[in-house]
Amino acid sequence: MKIRRKKRDPGGIPTASMSDVAFLLLIFFLTTTKFDIKQGLGLVLPPPAEEGAQRVRVREDNIARVLINREGRVAVNDEEMSYLAMENRIRQMLGQNPDLVVSLRTDRRSKYYHMIDALDRLRAAGAEKISLSTN
Amino acid sequence: MPKLQAKSKPETIIPTASMSDIAFLLLIFFMVSTVFVKERGLRVTMPEARSIEKVPRRNAATVYVDRSGMISIDDFIVDIPTVRDIMIRKLYDDFNTIVSFRTDRMTDYGLMADIMDQLREANALRVAFEAKQKR
Repeated sequence: MKIRRKKRDPGGIPTASMSDVAFLLLIFFLTTTKFDIKQGLGLVLPPPAEEGAQRVRVREDNIARVLINREGRVAVNDEEMSYLAMENRIRQMLGQNPDLVVSLRTDRRSKYYHMIDALDRLRAAGAEKISLSTN
Repeated sequence: MPKLQAKSKPETIIPTASMSDIAFLLLIFFMVSTVFVKERGLRVTMPEARSIEKVPRRNAATVYVDRSGMISIDDFIVDIPTVRDIMIRKLYDDFNTIVSFRTDRMTDYGLMADIMDQLREANALRVAFEAKQKR
């Protein structure tokens, strides 16, 4: 009797769906990736006032006082104006006096975005010496 | 009369063998660039600003402040007097720490002033106010 030899299976791994797997993973990472870019307005705070430290006095005419009240209205040197006018005024003042220090005084009950808006406009006007304070 | 040979049409085949290579390449890119969010933070609507710059992520310590006045650092709800100690510890770990504020636009400014006083006491003087790009 003839014994039939069993045919050997060549044993290949199907690679046709390899790209399907790859694309599936790709889509997963595409959708979960969130580029967490931090961007904002940078500022350096003054060091804490120490006992006996010498106070630096700034000449009165080198200071521009910007006030924001609790309704978010802005005034430069006690003159109320719009945010856009404030930016232009500061730019003009900086043109006359490059050493100008801008003192941004915000009411405690004022909203945060008013202060950010003002700070943004001061930056846009080219002010670099900005001091923050509140009442 | 010579026999006219029918021009054999060239078969158009798009090679798909390297399809998975492309997929894997993209996959590896997204796997490497994916940062799973470590911090849950608080739900905030950030203010908008124009003159914004990038904040280096490496040194950034994010402080979340929401509109109800809750402060969250490293997913811990903290109160104002604790901020100083946390920042002293953070500065000890990394001298170049930049405190990056993610504050809701409707937060009262007084709270921010109090936090900044704490930062000054801790000598964490580099801050950034995160904002979205205004269009």
